[in-house]
Amino acid sequence: MTEIQLVLTNPTGLHARPASQFVQTASKFKSKVKILSGGKQVDAKSILGVMTMGLRSGAAFTVTADGEDEAECLAALAALVESKFGEG
Amino acid sequence: MSSFTVAALEAVADRIIQHKELLTSLDAAIGDADHGINMARGFEAVRVKIRAAAPETDISGLLKMTGMTLISTVGGASGPLYGTAFMRAAAAAQGKETLDQEAIAQIWSAALQGIKDRGKASRGEKTMLDAMEPAYEAFVEAAKAEKSLVESLEVACEAAKEGIEFTKTIIATKGRASYLGERSLGHQDPGATSSYLMLAALTEFFHNQQLGA
Amino acid sequence: MVGIVIVSHSAKVAEGIRELAQQMAKPEQKIIAAGGMADGSIGTDAMRVSEAIEEAMTEAGVVVMVDLGSAVLSTDTALEILDESLRARVRIADAPILEGTIGAVVEASVGSSLEQVLATAEGAREMRKCL
Repeated sequence: MTEIQLVLTNPTGLHARPASQFVQTASKFKSKVKILSGGKQVDAKSILGVMTMGLRSGAAFTVTADGEDEAECLAALAALVESKFGEG
Repeated sequence: MSSFTVAALEAVADRIIQHKELLTSLDAAIGDADHGINMARGFEAVRVKIRAAAPETDISGLLKMTGMTLISTVGGASGPLYGTAFMRAAAAAQGKETLDQEAIAQIWSAALQGIKDRGKASRGEKTMLDAMEPAYEAFVEAAKAEKSLVESLEVACEAAKEGIEFTKTIIATKGRASYLGERSLGHQDPGATSSYLMLAALTEFFHNQQLGA
Repeated sequence: MVGIVIVSHSAKVAEGIRELAQQMAKPEQKIIAAGGMADGSIGTDAMRVSEAIEEAMTEAGVVVMVDLGSAVLSTDTALEILDESLRARVRIADAPILEGTIGAVVEASVGSSLEQVLATAEGAREMRKCL
């Protein structure tokens, strides 16, 4: 298992379209992917789970991936967050 | 047979349209005050459709046309409920060329089942079934006792009227009126009333046909 | 990809939810709004719903999202008039229409099965907003 720390710098945080992009990206990989924040953890491939985390702009969170493609998966998710989900 | 069935359905449509205000005011007491408006809109569309139907359209075809029109024009819950009733009636009427007592009983039974299936409802829940089911049973009983078609329909009408009275004494457990709980007591059900109106129109229609014959 | 149909008494509500859900959808995804009556009145139209299901139909099936009361009755009726071969691939979600639609659209976008999309839509019932 690998884990990384990410910070949301896009204006809307992990809601709506960014949340769906996060789930869609995580779902491309075979690994089990989780988001951990504030003592809670959710399945990163579950849109409802990700949306209920309520992560706002500026929030820091941990993403873990466990599986054969865990490194690629985390790299893709980190790139997505760093690109500010295309929100500019 | 086509013009006869068209005339019978027109009699039903006219009756509902004439009682638009009554149905709406009954619904205002325990529902959302749209039963009369919705039903009148649906049956106005039905009237246009069946008048324009090809002369060779059979009983089943006309009933189906009525059902399909109701499901797409009524809008409220009564659209899919009555619409399903007429569509199931159409299926039961397939191949039938005359509306005798036996045919009517079969068609009616299918329509009744359609409403039960669609609404997942049964008698005693303050719905159209409280008028329609006792009326159907009275009709079948009367037919068994070898009463004429018109007599059987008249007996059925009486049973439907009693059914409407019964709906005043019970609490709604289905549909919007169920939100009111005990406050639905004392009010007659609009759906039971529209069912009765249709039956009363058909009864009068057959009565007049008999006089004319 | 599972298709989604949105049934509301109001054409504007159905169209608005579709617009919002579209933001999260893949371009080729089928999301069809079936709100209101043909004459513009408030209500549900089983014929319209049935046509919307046909339009949204894919190999993977269709999940129908409904608002209140007669939307369910009209959708049940739509299934009755639908071709039998299609009917088996349609599910009605017992879920809040807006949150459920968004969940269903995202779930469908990652290629999930009909039952998975339905489960996600219905899971929206448990979704908390004010934590």
